[in-house]
Amino acid sequence: MSLFASVVHRLAAIARRRRLDRDLDDELAFHLSMREADGRADGLSAADATRDARRRFGNVTYLKEQTRDMWTFQPFERLMQDIRYALRTLGRSPGFTIVAVFALAVGIGGNTAIFSLMSASREAALPYPDAGRLVQLWGNVMRAKVERRGASYPDYQDWRAQAKSFDDMSAFDSQWITLVGGDESERILSEDVDTSYFSLLGVAPALGRTFRADENVASAPPAVVVLSDGLWRRRFNADPAILGHSVTLCCAPRPYTVIGIMPAGFKGLSDTAELWLPFTAWASADVLAARGARGFTVLARLKRGISMSTAQADLDMISRRLEQAYPQTNEKRAVEVSPLDVELFGSLRPALRTLMAAVSFVLLIACANVSNLLIARSEARQREIAVRTALGAGWRRLLAQLVTEGCVLASMGALAGLALAYAATRALLATSPVTFPSFVTPHIDLRVALFTVAVSMACGIVLGLAPAMHARVSRLADALKDSARGSEGRSSQRVRSALVVVEVSLAVVLLVGAGLMIRSVRNLAALDPGFDPRSLLTLHASIPRTAVGTGPARPVVEGRALLDRLRAIPGVSDVALGNDLPLDGGAGASFYAAEGMPPVNAQNMPRIYVHRVTPGFFSALRMPLRAGRTFTEAEVSPTSPAVIVSENVVKRFWPGQDPIGKRIKFGSETSNNPWMSIVGVVGEVKYRALPENPTADPDMYLPFADRNALVGIVVRTTIPPASLAPAVRAAIRSADPSIPVYSVATMDDLTGQQTAQSRFTMWLMGIFAACALMLAVVGIYGVMSYLVAQRTREIGIRLALGADHGDILRLVVGNGARLIGAGIAIGIAASLALSRLVSTLLFGVTAADPAAAAAVAVLAAVAVVACYLPAARATRINPIRALRYD
Amino acid sequence: MGDFLPGTLDMLILKTLSRGPLHGYAIVQFIHDASRDVLAVEEGALYPALHRLEVRGLLRSRWAASDNNRRAKFYALTASGRRALSQESDYWRRVSAAVTRVMQTA
Repeated sequence: MSLFASVVHRLAAIARRRRLDRDLDDELAFHLSMREADGRADGLSAADATRDARRRFGNVTYLKEQTRDMWTFQPFERLMQDIRYALRTLGRSPGFTIVAVFALAVGIGGNTAIFSLMSASREAALPYPDAGRLVQLWGNVMRAKVERRGASYPDYQDWRAQAKSFDDMSAFDSQWITLVGGDESERILSEDVDTSYFSLLGVAPALGRTFRADENVASAPPAVVVLSDGLWRRRFNADPAILGHSVTLCCAPRPYTVIGIMPAGFKGLSDTAELWLPFTAWASADVLAARGARGFTVLARLKRGISMSTAQADLDMISRRLEQAYPQTNEKRAVEVSPLDVELFGSLRPALRTLMAAVSFVLLIACANVSNLLIARSEARQREIAVRTALGAGWRRLLAQLVTEGCVLASMGALAGLALAYAATRALLATSPVTFPSFVTPHIDLRVALFTVAVSMACGIVLGLAPAMHARVSRLADALKDSARGSEGRSSQRVRSALVVVEVSLAVVLLVGAGLMIRSVRNLAALDPGFDPRSLLTLHASIPRTAVGTGPARPVVEGRALLDRLRAIPGVSDVALGNDLPLDGGAGASFYAAEGMPPVNAQNMPRIYVHRVTPGFFSALRMPLRAGRTFTEAEVSPTSPAVIVSENVVKRFWPGQDPIGKRIKFGSETSNNPWMSIVGVVGEVKYRALPENPTADPDMYLPFADRNALVGIVVRTTIPPASLAPAVRAAIRSADPSIPVYSVATMDDLTGQQTAQSRFTMWLMGIFAACALMLAVVGIYGVMSYLVAQRTREIGIRLALGADHGDILRLVVGNGARLIGAGIAIGIAASLALSRLVSTLLFGVTAADPAAAAAVAVLAAVAVVACYLPAARATRINPIRALRYD
Repeated sequence: MGDFLPGTLDMLILKTLSRGPLHGYAIVQFIHDASRDVLAVEEGALYPALHRLEVRGLLRSRWAASDNNRRAKFYALTASGRRALSQESDYWRRVSAAVTRVMQTA
């Protein structure tokens, strides 16, 4: 019969299955009864006739199966039968099933959650078509180390014209601007982009158009703007008639005409942008012309088939040409090609990889646990298995049955795990200290589902194989004999002990990992940033200018007046202004020269971060004054020659000398810039990042003189700083209602953001380690209880022979302690090896840290308790009953 | 009846049924008697063979009353069953004659 006909026949039989089964039963019953009747007729007794009929017929069940195979899909039928059987078996011991499913759900759910995060942060998950070819170009400078600086407009134009590896490029920058009008002026993030930006990202406007090439030219660009869907709905009631109308942006010289609305959900590369301007619209013509004015990145798309290294080589050649043509500005300058997904997620990936490893350890522990439980059960089921073997079930059939049972268990775990993972990723993304891009959403897609299925099936097979191997080792025939009941095979004890050792060692690795992460986060929190970040509220304001008569434009509120208003708020102890604040991301650097310094080159040309601050800035931040004084009120003027520097300036140019009165100037020593005299020296500050500034450049402070529209405000409070935010906002509004206030945050928030990734890793590591500890302890407890139960008779004999409770305790606890000790030793060795791999995630700790020792101590203590409980139970064994135990 | 040469049981069933429809027990009895008790091993092995032949279209079955008036499943040859029987018999004659010759001469 052809395979096709056979399949058709079997399919056709599905509908008649029940009748076919009944007919077969009837047919065989008829045969047996006929044979019996004939036997009776030959003079056999009724019982003999029945036995004779059966003997002649053979194995009824087996033959029935053989016949039924004719109209069934045998493998499928068997699978369904095995599944039904597994469900029945699991249903009979709900306690075991709940514990096993819970353990597996934790393991599988954790793996699914972390995998879905990894999956969401891979290149293909970026919400742009063919995102694998999107790269960012960084203008780099080779100083003591390579530093990222960004591109200048002339450089960018040259890259674009000369590079052959790219389909297209777009300059990209972002900045906060004020949208004026309506009830309230609003600070919104604007992206300044070239014409090709939108096509590079593969997005088209929902309404109107994006920029034309002639709108992105350096000379006299037209004032046009593209809005996000969200801004259009919020500010303009989604009115399509806005196209062609103009909006006022502060502080642009003229109104901007709205030419397009982007589709909902598009927020640009910065993920928070609400408005797009032509790149050339905002910068002044002389900045656009300056080859040395670097500070933006370039988005580019590689040509199809061009590798990252080819593109890098292409740009390296261009950099060398530019270096020769413009040595003044392009000495030691290069371009770095960096994949977009690495830019967005690169910093997160080591943490995610570590967490993935950690959570897979949790799953391994869960599997070891459930395997142990299954082995215990399979011992109880030895007789059942032996009987089934005797009845003709083949070894393969039994194996299939056990693996099916494992898979059923794992599938139940996976279902619960998926629900757990969904809830966990949701909670994780909502509370994570790390801000994920908005397109990373909690969801279970096909990839994640397949991962979960694969993981759970692998678990199922492992879970099935453990008891199967164990059953194969123990001699089946022995299981049928009663005498074999009391003594468990040595090999099985060894397997189960080994599983305990594995569980303990994995748990040690996770606990040590969590311990080290906790220490790292503590170290980061305890880090001295050079100022006192506690009880500080920071915020920013954009202070509009007004032209008074023919004089220069003046701010609507002078800094000094603002300070007076803020100082009057109850709960404020100190307040200061600066054009930028520590960790607000607004710092900018300049080259400078010290009077009489030795000649310098591009690599060691002194560079310094410039901050304009009010005299109270240093005391408000509690920055230590190393020498001299802070500014006087008289020095608060744009032309004041007074400057305060951080101590590394003094260390470099005037070590061991009195720095007060020494002079520095912007640019080179021969430039026309005026000399400035040092009046004070303050400590170094982690002004730009924690735990360390990205470059070692020092800081200089100039008197704040109302020259900047953007003002950072730092308020030291005597009450919790966040609670003062409304009062501070109100005070600024009362000074002038047209001042938009934005980026309100406590300094603790800002430092927290800097260490977010460490805290993210720490929390998850802690959760995983807790799960591991719990599972390992349950595993130890289970195995020790089982061993005690197994040795009931032995313990009974010992007690009967005069052993006291102490002896029994020592016996049982000693047994467990050996396993735990072995596990801890292996775990410590593994931790030492693995900690090197995660050193990038750690801060100021090594695996030899006391935190690691503490973690091990916790595990050891809990594990010994888990041994002690069964041991204590063993001491209460009644010798008489124990000897009758069998 | 399971230890025959492969395919032999099928042929015996077809031959037995060439005399008219029978139920399984009667087929067993016939083979048993006709072979003078030589071919009498596991009776149950008949049923997988019967069902297989039916699926292949060599037999058809129906439920009817037996001699002692009980409901029994009767098998009968189909046209292709007859064709298969004649092919099998020819083959068997040739092979058994050949085997006999070998056994006599060697």
